[in-house]
This record gives sequence, C-alpha cells and structure tokens, in this order.
Amino acid sequence: MKNYPIWKSFTVISLVLLGIIFAIPSIIYDENSENWFLKNKINLGLDLQGGSYLLLEVQLDVLYNEELENFADSVRLISRDQAAKIEQIVIEENDVIVTFSDINKIKDIRDSFFQMYRGISLQINNNKLNIKLNDDYKKIIQDSAIKQSLEIVRKRIDESGTKEPLIQRSGKKRILLQLPGVKDPERIKDLLGKTAKLTFHIVDDENTSALNNNLAPFGKMIVLDLYDENIKYLLNKRAVVGGENLVDAKGSFDQTEGHAVSFRFDTEGAQKFGKVTTNNIGKRMAVVLDGVVITAPRISSAITGGSGIITGNFNAQEASDLAVLLRAGALPAPLEIVEERSVGAGLGADSIAAGQIAAIIGMVLVCIFMILIYGTFGALANVSLVVNLFIIISLLGAIGATLTLPGIAGIVLTIGMAVDANVLIFERIKEESLKQTKVFQIVKNGFDRAMSTILDANITTLIAAVLLFAFGSGPIRGFSITLSLGVIASMFTALMLTNFLVYMYLSFANKKELKL
Amino acid sequence: MFGLNKIIPVEPNINFLGLRKNFLIFSILAILLSIGLLSIKGLNLGIDFKGGTLIEVSTKNTSIGELREILSSSYSDVSLQEFGDESIILIRLQNKSNQESIETVNSVKNLIQDKVVEFRRSEFVGPTISSELLFRGFQAVSFALIAILIYIWLRFEWQFGFGAVVALTHDVLFTLGLLSILNVEFSLATIAAILTIAGYSINDTVVIFDRVRENLRKYKKLELVDLFNLSVNNTLSRTIMTSLTTLLALVSLFIFGGEVIRPFALTMIIGVIIGTYSSVFIAVPTLLIFKFRPQDEDD
Repeated sequence: MKNYPIWKSFTVISLVLLGIIFAIPSIIYDENSENWFLKNKINLGLDLQGGSYLLLEVQLDVLYNEELENFADSVRLISRDQAAKIEQIVIEENDVIVTFSDINKIKDIRDSFFQMYRGISLQINNNKLNIKLNDDYKKIIQDSAIKQSLEIVRKRIDESGTKEPLIQRSGKKRILLQLPGVKDPERIKDLLGKTAKLTFHIVDDENTSALNNNLAPFGKMIVLDLYDENIKYLLNKRAVVGGENLVDAKGSFDQTEGHAVSFRFDTEGAQKFGKVTTNNIGKRMAVVLDGVVITAPRISSAITGGSGIITGNFNAQEASDLAVLLRAGALPAPLEIVEERSVGAGLGADSIAAGQIAAIIGMVLVCIFMILIYGTFGALANVSLVVNLFIIISLLGAIGATLTLPGIAGIVLTIGMAVDANVLIFERIKEESLKQTKVFQIVKNGFDRAMSTILDANITTLIAAVLLFAFGSGPIRGFSITLSLGVIASMFTALMLTNFLVYMYLSFANKKELKL
Repeated sequence: MFGLNKIIPVEPNINFLGLRKNFLIFSILAILLSIGLLSIKGLNLGIDFKGGTLIEVSTKNTSIGELREILSSSYSDVSLQEFGDESIILIRLQNKSNQESIETVNSVKNLIQDKVVEFRRSEFVGPTISSELLFRGFQAVSFALIAILIYIWLRFEWQFGFGAVVALTHDVLFTLGLLSILNVEFSLATIAAILTIAGYSINDTVVIFDRVRENLRKYKKLELVDLFNLSVNNTLSRTIMTSLTTLLALVSLFIFGGEVIRPFALTMIIGVIIGTYSSVFIAVPTLLIFKFRPQDEDD
C-alpha cells in the first residue's frame, strides 16, 4: 500500500459503511416501525404512496365586501343617533360613499365612526363622507382570516379521521393540504366547501308586504329556504345566537323527525337563547346555515336548558357531517379549491415498481458498458456507482426527504451522470500513461488533473438543481433534491472511493505498468 | 482488459473546427425553425400550464369509444386518450372556473362509475395557478442561465461565459422546437428536464473549456483553431463516454419508467444529444470570435 495514508483509508471506509448502514431503513421500509433506527427511512411522496394534494384559496373579497357592508350599517346607526339624514349610500370596490342632506353633522359622524374603526381612512368632500378600506386594514382582515381558516381546516380534517395530514399556509391567501392515503377526496372537499356559518334568527311573519316586494327594511333580511327556493323568510338581521356559542354537536336520530343534529350551547349562548325564546313564544325561530334557512320551527315554550336539535331532510351521513362542521366552527370566508392532485394507491405502487425496474436496468447497462470500455478500472468505478446509490438513499432517509416520481427519475439520471467523474479521471490517467511509466505517479497525476474539471462541471449542475428547488413546487422539488444529492455523492465516490480502490488494486496486483 | 476503449483513439485528430461553418448554418436554421414553430404551433401545454382537469382511469371491458360516447353527450370539450395500455384511459377537460371544475370531476366520476375499475389519479389546476406555474417555470430557466453565466465568468474569462450561454440558449430553443414538432406534452416535469439539460450541457461545455484553458497556457505558439481542435480531441472520448452512459440510463427510464415519466425521459434524451453536439460545434467555435492572445492582434 504505497503512500496511501491510513487516515484517508479509514475516512473512506467509514463513510462508505455509514452510507450503507443508513440506507438499510429505507430498503427494509417497515412502514409502522417505531424503532429509532428503522424510522430514518425515506418518506414516499403522495404520487408514490397515493393520496390527495389540495390548494385552497381564502375568498378574501367576500370578507372585504362584508366589512364594507358593516361600515354602511354603522354609518346608518350613527346617523340615526345624531339625527342626520342620509341621502344615499354607495358601496364601491374599496369604498363606501355616504351622501348626507346637509354638512352640519358630518364631522361628528366621522369622529364617532373613527372611534369604532381605528386605522380606517376617512375623507370629507362637501356633503359626502368617503370611507376607504385601505391596504393596512385589508392586511389585518387577511391575516386573521388565514389564521382562523387554518385552525378550522385543521379541526375539520382531524374530525374526518385522516391520518398524518399536512396543513400549512402557502403564500398570502392560500392553504396547502397534503392528505396521504386519502382515496376519496370528495368527502374532504365537501367538508371544506362549506363555510358552516350557523346562526339563529327570529322570523318576522307580520310584515308580509316586505316579502311580497322582495325589499327588506332596515335591520331585517330576506333569506331563502334550503329545500324550496320559493319559500322566503323575513328575518331579524341580528342573530339571537351563533355557532361560536356551540360547545358540542352530534348526529342523532329523532323518532318523528328522522336524522337530526343535536347541539349544546355554552353558558352565554344558553342564557341568550333562553331569554329570547322566553320573550318570543309563538313566533318562529329560523336556523340559518351559510345563508339559507334549514328549518324554522315555532317556539312553543321557553328553551332554557341550552340544548336542542336541528332537523331537516338529512340522511345519516349528512347529519354527522353537519355535526362535524358545527363542532369545528365556521370558516371566516369561503374556501375555493384552486389546485387538486389525487393519486390512487394503485398508480403509486405501479410508479414505484416501474421506477425500480428502470433504475436497476439502467444501472446494469451502465455497469456492463464501463467494464467493456475500462476493464478492471470500469469494475472499480462500478463499485463506486453502487455505493453512490446507497449514499443517495441514506442521505434521503437521514434528512427525512420525500421521494417523488420525478425524484426517482433524478436517481436514474444520476446513475448515468455519476460515472462522468470516473470517466474524467480514467481519461486523464490514459493520457498520463503515454507520458510516463511510473504507475503510481500516473494515477496520482490523473486524479489531480481531473479534480478541477470535476468540481467546475458538477457545480454548474448543482446551480441548476438549486434553482429548481427554489422555484419548483411539490414533485419537482423531489427531483432537484435527488439530483443534488446524487451530484454531491458522485463527487465523493469518484474522488475518494475510486481513488482508494484504484490504489488498493494497483498495490495488491503489484502492477508494473498501466494500460487503460 | 477488453480493449474496447481503443475504438476511440487515445489521441484522435479530427478537424471539428473545419466543419464549423456547416454546423453553424445547420444550427441557425434549426433555431429559426424552432422559433417559428414555437410562435406558430406553440407547445402542447399540459394542464399544469393551461389549467383544466385530468382523470386517469383503468376500465373493465370498456372501449375508449364507449367512454367517449357517454362523456361527449354531457361535455363538448372532453378528450380521451389511451395511456400506455388500452385499459388505461386519460380523460381531459378544459374548465372555466374553479367551482365548475370541482363539480365536473364529481359528475364525470358519477357518469362512468360502473365502467371503471379504479380512478388512478385526478388532477385539477385552476386558471390562476396555471399562469403562476408558467411564470415561475420561465423564471427558473432564466435565473439558471444567468447564474451559470456568472459562475463561468468567475471561474474562466468572460468570453467563455459568452460561449457557454450561446450554447445553452441554443440547446433550450432547439429542444423546445423538437418538443413542438413531436407534440410532447409540456408540463412541470418538462421544465425540470430543461433545467437539467442546461446543467448537463454546461457540464459538457465546461469540461472542454477547461481543456482549452489548459492548452492556452501549454501551447503558446499554436494557432487558435488548431488549439481548439486539439482540446476537443483531447476530451472527445470523455464526451462520448459520458453521453452514452447518461443516454443508457435515460433510455432505460424511457422504456421501463412508466407512462407518467416518459415525456420527461424523452425530453432529456433529446436534450442530452443536443447538449453534447452544441458543446463541440457551437460553444467552442464561438470562442473564435474573441482574440485570446495579444499577438493574435498582429495577424
């Protein structure tokens, strides 16, 4: 073993052993293992294990519009208190423009309004008050809406029994969901498709002309029936009590009404509900969910116990889903699905099998080719190539990376490109062998000369891979990770392991001359 | 041992640079044709960039015609295609809004429920997302070209960076042109393939440039054309070997890697061939524009 430092041999051998040992968990792949060692395995992406990826967008425009409506209502209230007459209220994209009959009270109204909504922009133009929903105010609405939506989505997904979901914010107004193993995303989509805003309102059955003219007076609103669009209700705009006061809801069965949802209020809700039902015996109470009336039973007696049931034409699944939604709470704004990718377990398994076959055949072809061209040296390079593959697998497992289908493509591609460093070295050795005869000097010069070329060539590939990671999404990131790890591993195996193997071979075979 | 490496002589002496005019004309024509194709015919954009819905199903005893009949009565813009195997069928729909699409997926599934063994995958990409993905893909490719240019500039002289980027741009345009002719679906994976081609091509170019730089120091008196020829010849067997091993792996991926990955593998195969060609016939001749030695100015 001429001139080969012991520390270097030791480093190479231990790195190779580590590479092989840490590949074991991913190769055995025991899905449910709790063993500290076997847990360090590669995670399979949704496209390989099957599952659903959903990207949801919070419909902020709805919230902005709601807020503008609130502004308008508040101005009406303030003006009524101050006995100022409003001529007209116009709601535009970001503004509410209120026109008053005279300009006497306008400053007072502005100041009172500002007390209620700090941070809003207000402008007076003669007899017009302009209330602007500015960007700062929008941002506050946006942030709290996303935070709240995330929480509600998490609760709903948990209630649906999905294992290990990934739920995170993505960009300004989106929520990203990864649901491994979910075969039927339709139910999840149904659960997320509803805002589930539940409110209880007293029905106004006296003012029939308002319903006939389809024009709600101030403080009232007209709401349609869920099951029959021809039935309309005139309701008090102010809700008696809302879903936020619920502490529990579950699907139940009622002898006369069929499937129903039974619910229970918290103390505050129970008190409000008790008071209103006591004062309004004989009137009807409408249960409004997401802007439609589910049911509107007549209040026959005061309900002070704080619990009740909601009936409707539910089947068992619908009743239990509604209960899930009510337990989880209402979303601040509707969610829209802007991207969905679902893969069945069958396709995932097929992809893994195809990827493995492609990798093995590619590997065998490359190995045969290397032996044909470089003989013994080719065989040594093949050892490096196999170790390279082990190192990629163990690195993927150790950093807990996710392997995707493009990721497998990255590994197969790396197999082809990994021999490049070896080829560069061998070609240099071939050239050096024409210049001199000392075997070890030839090998040393070959490696030294190839070194800077190998670094330059691989760093450019790494640059492309890093940019792919930065700009890519999902599966493409999987590809850039395996490609980067492959490039790094191939530099190590060529410059250290092949180097070590070549020295070992030349020492033990006691070669006096070198022909490549 | 087997001595097969003797097929490529240790010191080949092929006059690559002598052929540069022919190949330059070929490449210019190819690029013009590619640009023409891209602007007239365009790329076969997949749902990643065009938006829409895609459902892959495996069927039992049902022909693609039967499914088409069932679906086309409800949807005018539905297209069906066998996917590798005649029992596996891809259904594509062009959708308008997000809400509409989600409902479409459900109703398509209901319509063909009894003909289908398994819904293998369903994908839906909304219009806002698809334009964002296209923009980000474009960004990634542009930044990669710039970053590589800067790296080469730092490691070599700027002239080399220029040559490398000319070759790279050539590779990207040429590959896109071929994808357009072959009507290969252009998806997120294709963007990954193009960036990898950029990485591969530059890798190839850098190896030759490295040798040019070394030879510039070694042979002070040699004519530049001869020196470039010598450098290409020096590295020729490496260029061929690496392209071949990479192609072996890619062909294996193309044949055995499954239907989903096939467009990616095909794009890479095309790109590796073009990238290898351009390193020798485009990148190196581009260096001739510049004068690398003071005495050359006396010529």
